[in-house]
Amino acid sequence: MPEKTSKTSFRHILTVYGQVGALARSSLLLIWLALFLLVWFINPIPSLPNPFEVVQAFGKMYNTQGSGGLVYNVYTTLKLNLVGLLYSALLSLLISYLSILPILQPFNKIVQWLRYIPIIGFYLVFLTLFTIGWPMKVAMLTAGMSFFLVTSMTAVIESIPNLKYELARVLGYNDWQVFYSVVVRPNLPQMIDMVAQNAAMGWVMIPMIEASNRTEGGIGAQLFAYNATNQLAEVYAYLIIIGVIAILEDGLFVLLKRLLFPYSVIAERA
Amino acid sequence: MNDNQPQPETAKGDNACIEGPLVNGVTLLEPLLTLEDVCKEFLMNDGTTFVALKNLSFTIKNIKDKPQIVSLLGPSGAGKTTALRLIAGLDAPTSGCVLITNGKGLRAVEIGDVGVVFQKYPLFEDLNVLNNLMVPALNAGMSKAAAKEKALHYLDEFDLVKQGLAWPVQLSGGQRQRVAILQQLMKERHFIILDEPFSGLDPVNIMNVIKLISRIANQHTLNTFIIITHDITSALAISNHIYLLGRERNEEGKAIPGSRVMKEYDLMQEGIAFHTNLAEAEDLPRFAEIRKEIKLIEFPKL
Ligand SMILES: Nc1ncnc2c1ncn2[C@@H]1O[C@H](COP(=O)(O)OP(=O)(O)O)[C@@H](O)[C@H]1O
Ligand SMILES: [Mg+2]
Repeated sequence: MPEKTSKTSFRHILTVYGQVGALARSSLLLIWLALFLLVWFINPIPSLPNPFEVVQAFGKMYNTQGSGGLVYNVYTTLKLNLVGLLYSALLSLLISYLSILPILQPFNKIVQWLRYIPIIGFYLVFLTLFTIGWPMKVAMLTAGMSFFLVTSMTAVIESIPNLKYELARVLGYNDWQVFYSVVVRPNLPQMIDMVAQNAAMGWVMIPMIEASNRTEGGIGAQLFAYNATNQLAEVYAYLIIIGVIAILEDGLFVLLKRLLFPYSVIAERA
Repeated sequence: MNDNQPQPETAKGDNACIEGPLVNGVTLLEPLLTLEDVCKEFLMNDGTTFVALKNLSFTIKNIKDKPQIVSLLGPSGAGKTTALRLIAGLDAPTSGCVLITNGKGLRAVEIGDVGVVFQKYPLFEDLNVLNNLMVPALNAGMSKAAAKEKALHYLDEFDLVKQGLAWPVQLSGGQRQRVAILQQLMKERHFIILDEPFSGLDPVNIMNVIKLISRIANQHTLNTFIIITHDITSALAISNHIYLLGRERNEEGKAIPGSRVMKEYDLMQEGIAFHTNLAEAEDLPRFAEIRKEIKLIEFPKL
């Protein structure tokens, strides 16, 4: 740490990476949020429902029981989101870590190319392979996210400097020891970063996947229904919920990394 | 390095170099490492080939009751790192061969035979210092208790006890260098090659590294340290043999591609190897003479 900055010091907010106090930093965030809210209140775009309508929609949906209600739908989507994240993370880790084997490299490349194809284009394929509803949704999300995750994770592995392999080799490590010590273990914290980055991609796909699998509901199904009936306040209420969940998940990943791999946080600061 | 084997009498506490002033007329035994007409060419980006090493040959022989500390001395660009990679088995020579002893005779070197201390001191960043030492020993088949004991012993001996639980990013340059050297010693073997271990160090730390290397080297007569450097004084202070690596020049004074051994100095014969007090060694007339010769006559030619 350089010299101590007082918690409320705003002095360096216009300096390149100026030292800003913790309290000042949070205040800046609040000021920006307030600015956004202000713009929303003034509302230059007529199709945007105003904040009061959105808050009202929140209350109404929250008090609705059963499959039309907010709690049920958020729970349904959150479950899909988390299960999809877990499956795609595991699957992508496997595929990208194994890209060190020449025999699997073309397979890895093809998986990466698939991310250009809208996952919805494979709707019928998934419908044939999986039961409609939960299994099909999980499969689509897992596959869709994996196309992106494999790309990012493989890039991490390809960027391992040669020197790291050579260090292990001159220490007499065998193939397995090199794989574990150079490829798998040191890159796990970066893999968490990749999952966090691609979690956003999942939220782009979820509405689409749930809208094409509406039997169980979920935020995507609700968005589709409310859009169809032009109930925009409800639509924006759900969009805000997605935003809040995403921010919380992001924080969770940071926390996870800090707990599991403390050295990586220290290394980033060094 | 095998601590369990009987150690030569030279291995003694802090100033582990041999007692007494100078040693002369030492018996040379079997060859430990040989380079035979080693050539290394690189394909350049413009499609031409670049000859980095041409007919590089030398043999390191076992010195009775002493470790072998050999320097490859040369200006930068002379092909020292290229030679290191061949000696370590990291790259294959374009022609010629690198042979190493297996106890009975010589065989082609394999990666892992020779420990390498790279110039940048890479470590496993996700392991703390203690584990950076222990894991290589465990991977080589040592028991956990033995690996831990050996690692703790090294940390204690080389002033790293406080750093045992530190992550590599938290080490100072000197500490990192020591860990990198000690890491290569965790596996039981006698050959270590170091790339520019003195570069970027202040004079006091250079002296400390020289002491560290001689101390470790003196723990076994088969220990063979090859030091790659452009630092003439340090090479003279630490080695018992120096190979000058460089290129020949034609009549117009232009360098002919391909480095090889241009001159060698047997510092044992010269009577300036294995000196107890390194600072005193520098004051020996012969030390100063050779230093002057390399600096003013040999180096400018390379
Ligand atoms: N991989 C490579 N490809 C092409 N040229 C190389 C390569 N490695 C080294 N060289 C060349 O070989 C020569 C010797 O390099 P190097 O062994 O690093 O010298 P030193 O370690 O003595 O400073 C240099 O001219 C360098 O450009
Ligand atoms: Mg070099």
